[in-house]
Amino acid sequence: MGDALLFLPLTVLGAVLALDVVSFPQAMFSRPIVAATLAGAWVGEPDRGLAMGVALEFFALESMPFGASRYPEWGSASVVGGALFALTPEGTAAAMTAAALSALLVASVGGTSMVLLRRFNAYWARQQQARIARGSGSAVVALQLAGLTADLTRGALLTFLGLAVLVPLHEAIVASFTMSPTVSRAVVVAAASAVGLAAVWKVVHTTPLARWYLAAGVAIGMLIAAGLM
Amino acid sequence: MTMDAASAAVLPLRVRLAMLLRCFAIQGVWNYETMLGNGIAFCMEPALRRLPGGRGGDAYRQAMARHSGYFNAHPYLASVAVGALARAELDGVPAVQIERFRVAAPGPLGSVGDRLIWAGWLPLCSALALLAFGLGVRPLGVVLIFLGAYNIVHVGLRWWGLQAGLTHGLRVAQSLGNPVLRQGPAHVARATALVAGIALPVAAQGIIGPGRVVLGSVLAAVAAGATLVTLLHGKIEGWRLATIVLAAFVLYSVVR
Amino acid sequence: MALDLVRIDDRLIHGQVVVGWGQPCGVGFIVLVDDAVATSEWEQELYRMGVPPEMDVFFDSVESAARRLPEYRADRRVGMLLTGDIETMERLVTAAPSIRTVTVGGIHHKPGRVARLRYVFLTPDEEAHLRALAKRGVTVTAQDVPAAAPLSLDALLAGDGVG
Repeated sequence: MGDALLFLPLTVLGAVLALDVVSFPQAMFSRPIVAATLAGAWVGEPDRGLAMGVALEFFALESMPFGASRYPEWGSASVVGGALFALTPEGTAAAMTAAALSALLVASVGGTSMVLLRRFNAYWARQQQARIARGSGSAVVALQLAGLTADLTRGALLTFLGLAVLVPLHEAIVASFTMSPTVSRAVVVAAASAVGLAAVWKVVHTTPLARWYLAAGVAIGMLIAAGLM
Repeated sequence: MTMDAASAAVLPLRVRLAMLLRCFAIQGVWNYETMLGNGIAFCMEPALRRLPGGRGGDAYRQAMARHSGYFNAHPYLASVAVGALARAELDGVPAVQIERFRVAAPGPLGSVGDRLIWAGWLPLCSALALLAFGLGVRPLGVVLIFLGAYNIVHVGLRWWGLQAGLTHGLRVAQSLGNPVLRQGPAHVARATALVAGIALPVAAQGIIGPGRVVLGSVLAAVAAGATLVTLLHGKIEGWRLATIVLAAFVLYSVVR
Repeated sequence: MALDLVRIDDRLIHGQVVVGWGQPCGVGFIVLVDDAVATSEWEQELYRMGVPPEMDVFFDSVESAARRLPEYRADRRVGMLLTGDIETMERLVTAAPSIRTVTVGGIHHKPGRVARLRYVFLTPDEEAHLRALAKRGVTVTAQDVPAAAPLSLDALLAGDGVG
């Protein structure tokens, strides 16, 4: 792996999905459960992409794109994470831990890149302020298209650089990892579920009765998981 | 055109569809100063071309200048403002009134959308998809369940908002009183709690695979971790904490 | 005493007020003081939509707010009083001198205003009016959310928009 033929389509996918996070069309193709699955499917392993997507979706339950707040960017991150995990053969010891860590790092850098872009957007808006204040329709449309193009470019750069840096790192970690695949997956799942559970609690705890629905849900879920239902 | 002849059909379907399409890109140049401002003007533009004097005329230019300033709202419900403001401009409502709407609308359009979508429908659809995975649904099915459920509401809300705004103009608050928007969030929150509760252990097991020995320790770790994240709320976000934990684990197992 | 929070915010009722203050402080009702809104039915409807069903909103002109203040204070729930600008607050304090503390919660960018804090932009005239309020013995502070420490008027007026 590591050839441009593989990187380029993934970069395009990462760019399009990064654009979906906020700018266009915000239809949530960028959520990990979709984005990582698409990346996995692209490299021929949709099931492994989905497994990674599910793990990352737990984390993403915590971060909803509330207006001005700062949040991780999951679109490009899930493409990187999903591809890394899907490209590693089944049964490889560290695959999931290393891929999840990679995705979290890209998500963090992606969040920062969005803050920078929003500052650039303000700068461009100021540049166009005189024309916009005179009511120029073409200035408004041009500004909107500039922002969209910049966001698409941001996603492409982020995905490409993420893959370029993290694919070799991932291979190095996988080569020297000493834990069993089960432990590797269990650690990711434990961390992800803890974040997900706390996130669901945060969202629902102010709604009357919701905590009891959550408790009942967890009880039912454990029975199903234990094979009793 | 007066308020009595209230109907979204003030504009031909073609123009309304052009506005809807633009609404999907309403946050295209989101920034910390005008936020959605430019996006609102961008989405209204196809309607404003129909003002007296046409594209580039005085009325068009004044309206474009007015609507490209600061505005904030939930991106989906912003279509309510796009429709209402376009209707007001086409009806020749005085600028002072339009400005007052621009002050009053962000609050409700933000809080209703945040509660209904970001804290409601999106987590619920996530939980549904996680549960589907845990119950063995194939990748294509999981993706379709998630995208289908989510976007019926997403696209529907954008279209409904635009229509409601165009129909009622500045008096659009009456449609925000819709029971789906008023009572919906509480029902969605309880459904999310239930479905997410079921999905968490089921999906977790789906990833780890069979073997109850590990599952026990995982559950204990989840309970401890979730409590920690909740206690640290406001100090550090859970996903950052998890990044540190995973990095430490990788380092440990590589160097040991 | 209820009605602990008296705030100037040009966005009036919005998320920061309803969620940011409403939830941690357990706000049960909001008094929105604005002469124009007090007579505009569609604006009142819009503002009502911005709060959860269990929270009350009362709309007053400066005159009626001053008159009903004792009633609001007697309410056992936590209340918050809002005006959209400094001028309205100054008139209210004149009509109801029992208001002793005022919080500047948000005054945003407009031509002619200079950035003082991230969420406060003021013209020289508005600064003079805030000082006049303080001279009358009203404690004026700036604070956007409950988790932030309140800033004194001197610190607010010395700000450069970054803090």
